[in-house]
Amino acid sequence: MQKKVLSEQALYFGDVKMPKHWEIDSNDLSGYILQSNIRNSEFLFSKTWDKLNTYIREHINLKYKISLVNKNTWGNIYKPTETTIPLKNINPIDLRNSPDFTLLYGVKVEDCTIRIYYEDNRRKGRSWDMPLINNQFIMFPSTNMYIIKNNQKDSLNFVQTITYEYI
Amino acid sequence: MASFAKINDDNEVLAVLTLDNENCVNSEGVETESVGQQWLETHNNWPADKWIQTSYNTINNTHTLGGTAFRGNYASIGFTWDSSNNIFWPPKPYPSWVKNTTTASWEAPVAKPALTAEQNAQNTKPDAATPSTHMWGYDWNEDTQSWDLTDTYA
Repeated sequence: MQKKVLSEQALYFGDVKMPKHWEIDSNDLSGYILQSNIRNSEFLFSKTWDKLNTYIREHINLKYKISLVNKNTWGNIYKPTETTIPLKNINPIDLRNSPDFTLLYGVKVEDCTIRIYYEDNRRKGRSWDMPLINNQFIMFPSTNMYIIKNNQKDSLNFVQTITYEYI
Repeated sequence: MASFAKINDDNEVLAVLTLDNENCVNSEGVETESVGQQWLETHNNWPADKWIQTSYNTINNTHTLGGTAFRGNYASIGFTWDSSNNIFWPPKPYPSWVKNTTTASWEAPVAKPALTAEQNAQNTKPDAATPSTHMWGYDWNEDTQSWDLTDTYA
């Protein structure tokens, strides 16, 4: 008896383990997120963002042989107790130009949860909750809907999103 | 041209970049690893000590052009940097295989048997137009810790 996996919905997650003294500067990245949100402008390229993006692309390629190409990036600030509406980063009428993966990175977060919705054949509407903590990432297929919850009452949560396609 | 492997804290090779000579020579015009490392740190956002020079022409601790072998093997993504032996190791093919630091390669715990003269003859094409009748070879069997004789034409 044999088995062939035609498609999989995998979550990739973990710490961004940069070399000592080369860690991702969360103050710098949250500054860029704040700037783009206040000015309602595009998220600007920075060396800090490039460190994060390069780390993800190289390590996903090393561990899983998936070559990622950047599609888009932005940062969000979530207010205390805020829960987003269900989010999905594909355009159903333009799948060709939609990303394959969505990556969420905890820039400055406290008690933040990501709920990812998925289908298990006929079992629709299932969900998987994962905490997002500082300097951790979660990457999942962009076809999966998700919500971001800021569970606590005091602090803003800064989350960086990067979307990718794979080649 | 000089090639450098980018490694992470676990000594895994993430990427290999090639530099122009002008970016890795010192003030006296001598190619120097530390100069290349510094250039890479500045331009590639990754610390200098995590860039290790590698030789394009070195494989299994032999220089393919007859020169001096350098650090065992040309690094590639997925290889591991071994600073104690000064060697880039390819991924371990089987859990039981061990390092041979002389040849910079992995070796099975049991030596691979040689093909017999008859098997070698059967592997050889009688002439350019006629294919060989067999393609005998040995494949490592990790379960039995031995070499299995296989014929890929069978």
